[in-house]
Amino acid sequence: MTDIQIQGDLAPVDARLTGPAPQEAIHHGPTAADRARSVIKHILLIAASVIMIYPLLWLIASSLRPTEVIFRTPGLWLNDLYVENYTQGWYALSYPFGQYIINSAIVVVGSIAGNLLACTLAAYAFARLKFRLRGLWFAIMLLTLMLPFHVLVVPQYILFNALGWVNTFVPLILPKFLAVDAFFVFLMVQFIRGIPRELDEAARIDGCGHWKIFSKVMLPLMGPAIATTAIFTFIWVWSDFFTPLIYLTDPIAYTVPVALRSFLDATAGSNWGAMFAMSVVTLIPLFLVFLFGQRFLVKGIATTGGK
Amino acid sequence: MSAVSELSTIHRVKAKTPEEKRLAAREAGRDNKAGYLFLLPWLIGLVVIVAGPMFASLYLSFTNYSLIQAPEFIGLDNYVRMFNDPRLLKSLSVTFIYVIVGVPAQLIVALAIAMLLNEGMKGLAIYRSIFYLPSMLGASVAIALLWRQMFEADGVVNQILRLFGFQATTSWIADPQFALWTIILLHVWTFGSPMVIFLAGLRQIPGMYYEAASVDGASKWAQFRKITLPLLSPIIFFNLVLQIINAFQSFTQAYVVSNGTGGPADSTLFYTLYLYQRGFVQFQMGYASAMAWLLVVIIAAFTAINFYFSKRWVFYGD
Amino acid sequence: MALNRRQFLIGAGGLAAAATTMGLGACAPGSSGGGSQGGGGEGGETNLALAWWGNPTRNKNTEAMMAAYMAANPNVKISGQPGEFSSYWDKLATQTAGGQAPDIIQMDMNYISEYGSRGALLDLGSVDTSKFVEGTVDSGKINDKLVGVNAGINTAVIMANPKVFEKAKMDLPDDKTWTWDQMIEVGAEAASKAGVPTGVGQLINSDTMFGILVRQRGKNLFTPDGIGFDVADAQAWYDFLLKGVKAKAFGTPEQISEVLAKPLDQSPVVVESGAMQYQNSNQLLAVSEAAGQKIEMLRPPSLAGKATERKGWYKASMLWSASAKTKNPEAAIAWINWFANDQAAAAIDLAERGIPPNAEVLAAVKSKFSPEQQVVAKFIEDTKTEVGNTPIAPPPGGGTIAELLSRHGTDVIFGRTSSAESAQKFVDELKSNLQV
Repeated sequence: MTDIQIQGDLAPVDARLTGPAPQEAIHHGPTAADRARSVIKHILLIAASVIMIYPLLWLIASSLRPTEVIFRTPGLWLNDLYVENYTQGWYALSYPFGQYIINSAIVVVGSIAGNLLACTLAAYAFARLKFRLRGLWFAIMLLTLMLPFHVLVVPQYILFNALGWVNTFVPLILPKFLAVDAFFVFLMVQFIRGIPRELDEAARIDGCGHWKIFSKVMLPLMGPAIATTAIFTFIWVWSDFFTPLIYLTDPIAYTVPVALRSFLDATAGSNWGAMFAMSVVTLIPLFLVFLFGQRFLVKGIATTGGK
Repeated sequence: MSAVSELSTIHRVKAKTPEEKRLAAREAGRDNKAGYLFLLPWLIGLVVIVAGPMFASLYLSFTNYSLIQAPEFIGLDNYVRMFNDPRLLKSLSVTFIYVIVGVPAQLIVALAIAMLLNEGMKGLAIYRSIFYLPSMLGASVAIALLWRQMFEADGVVNQILRLFGFQATTSWIADPQFALWTIILLHVWTFGSPMVIFLAGLRQIPGMYYEAASVDGASKWAQFRKITLPLLSPIIFFNLVLQIINAFQSFTQAYVVSNGTGGPADSTLFYTLYLYQRGFVQFQMGYASAMAWLLVVIIAAFTAINFYFSKRWVFYGD
Repeated sequence: MALNRRQFLIGAGGLAAAATTMGLGACAPGSSGGGSQGGGGEGGETNLALAWWGNPTRNKNTEAMMAAYMAANPNVKISGQPGEFSSYWDKLATQTAGGQAPDIIQMDMNYISEYGSRGALLDLGSVDTSKFVEGTVDSGKINDKLVGVNAGINTAVIMANPKVFEKAKMDLPDDKTWTWDQMIEVGAEAASKAGVPTGVGQLINSDTMFGILVRQRGKNLFTPDGIGFDVADAQAWYDFLLKGVKAKAFGTPEQISEVLAKPLDQSPVVVESGAMQYQNSNQLLAVSEAAGQKIEMLRPPSLAGKATERKGWYKASMLWSASAKTKNPEAAIAWINWFANDQAAAAIDLAERGIPPNAEVLAAVKSKFSPEQQVVAKFIEDTKTEVGNTPIAPPPGGGTIAELLSRHGTDVIFGRTSSAESAQKFVDELKSNLQV
């Protein structure tokens, strides 16, 4: 059994991979060449970053301009800060915008809990357990990803209507507890399969049943997959428009994307300023979740494998 | 161990003595029970929420269904009509181009950036968040509108090109030759999702492999080929399969950028956009359902091919 | 054991599928299952669900109207379902399919026959439309049954930006005598002298302007039997577009294509990249506000050069309908009646949805209109002698005419097809859409 080292987060790898050049044998620490390479890399990354976030910068800049001016000003430069988009936009709809954020938060938290619970269970079954028809069920699971949702919408709506769940959050959250998001099941299957079976065997020999292996061995090692699932669920559910559109009829229950759409009116003027301002406001939780959540993404395998 | 054989067969150890046979049977039975128990939430979800509507939509594909009145059985008429529908063929070709060009392009960029960010460096967390941002925004109406504006005749892209001396007067977004490419570019721009998944996968590769290799004098490129690629292959495979499945069903970006029309001369008429038009705008949900099931067949074929070839290059630790 | 489990699962799946499919069947109008959302309380409250699309202003107005109505009718409780135009129809279709259509539905001319001719809308014959301006009631009739009550009048206009004309040192054209060719000339001159790309914009997807041309040629867009025009009419329209593009009056094909995707507040007249554009009269306020200046309204041109022969008509900018499966038909009709005839309602809504079709109500509340709305009201009044018969609503499948017209028109102006080819393709595709 080999030992696997704990992988740190920001360990500088450059020097290790390239190895010391002969004339550098006396130097410790980064050389001029290393620093130059690092500077170039940073320059490239910064340039790429600007390209990546230019649209976001434009969004933020536009949210600080009055609506009439937004589409006539191409640049990013701001003369004044027009904060009314924020202060008025918050109250522009039937309810203060915080109401919609709370609604979205409820749906999102429920969805994350559901996905984490149900998808890990199903993934463990597919990846580690041998049972009859496993291949068939796996194929069916993938199949469920392939049918465009526009044709599923109406039959599902009829189903949920028959159950009396229209105008509740139930159709938005309950499916997550039933592992309907095959994307995450498949993701976790692939991660689990990357974990050496020796660990299972070791636990089995120690007398653990499947549940213990799952909860005590697998789950801790699946950190990145779990973090990925949580983050992606958050972002996708937060931005989901169509499902809340058809299931939530009472405006007080609207989630953020539906509320944002209310600012637009294709047949008259739209309140772009307020819509952009509220879009920026709703992007903040997304950004924060990712900023803090990515720490868990990078925890590598930390395990002592030895006996 | 190949992915396909892993999934499709049950590993049977040759049990010789009755004692062994009994043990083997008990093992299999034990896994059976445990397997279905772990699978229970998913099975319930499948049966209650997914299977019913899926069968319903299959049934609808054989009907005339306006959403407003009850469906009326018409047999294979929808499928026959599909083969004579020039817009359907056009939407298929648009979608194929998008998948065949957009998916590899996006994945290559995602992997490259993920590798770049995998090495520790100052500001890593910030860079990672910045590169992930577009994925968070990608589906938003505001960004798609801005994207359209950027590629207009006087948009930002042309302004920058003019700075470099090009005669940039084409309206990329209004020209049927180029409109699709702006959407492909938008797809590549939102490489954050597969990038994050690649990062998570890269992080699971123990650093000591790289150390050992560099001690042996292996170049970075050799390390990439011999260590990174094989150990990352399950994740690459995952991203490939799922990005293809998702790309075939891409809807929102085309919808917003083309204002729901499918762009200049149907050049951005993605398959699901056309499906949506038929189903919800023209009240022909039966036809749309038939289109949906054709798409299932196409995607299933691509996925099956993916799985078949994965035997050759995907390397699992178990 | 495994077999039993499998049997059970397959059985359950089949049941679920069967249940869903039966649910689909049960949602046909006239069958027993399913009902609208409004319920009736025993001996007391009636619940109505009211759906509309709009913007924050209209939302506030409508909520105020709901509150006023509930204050006047304590037994009625109305819950609102505001929405946004493009997603409104997806939601309505889904709700209707599921048997959960709202009791009172704001309806659009492009969709009214899809719902009306399939029996999804309530007969509103008992709504009092006696005081309505002539020609404003018929647009809500499908097969002689009134299923939509006009919620606001508008009519087709050409809006002009006075600043652009000033820059071109031109007067506004005489819209009582101008012809289609003269419109091209004015547009070309204004565009070149003012240095703007678009002389007359937003024509390419205007089925209304096309309809005006068709009517001036003596035909109709739609008849009860189908299409009322032929390929020659479509070709005349496409030739007109080609002529305008060649004369540099409408902009380049790329510019036309770009403008096609833009919302109202980025249209040429608003951002001063165009001298004139097609618009609906009730959008004057929105256009003026977005442009930040006064906008002029002109009559559409005529073949004969006489405004009285331009065969315009009063459109219903939107209508009020009710679900055929509502549990409270009388209450729904009562509300629609109130909206159409009660001054209290009009005093809140003013002209936001269009000019009130009830002439008495209009007279009573006109003084409260904003200046732009007064201009619109006057325009509608002034052009009374120029309107002809109200065209019938597009039959099912006919709502796609604008998209078809524009798609084939784009081929023509880009030179990919001839006007004759595209006209034929357009007519063929429209005919096939009507048949399904």
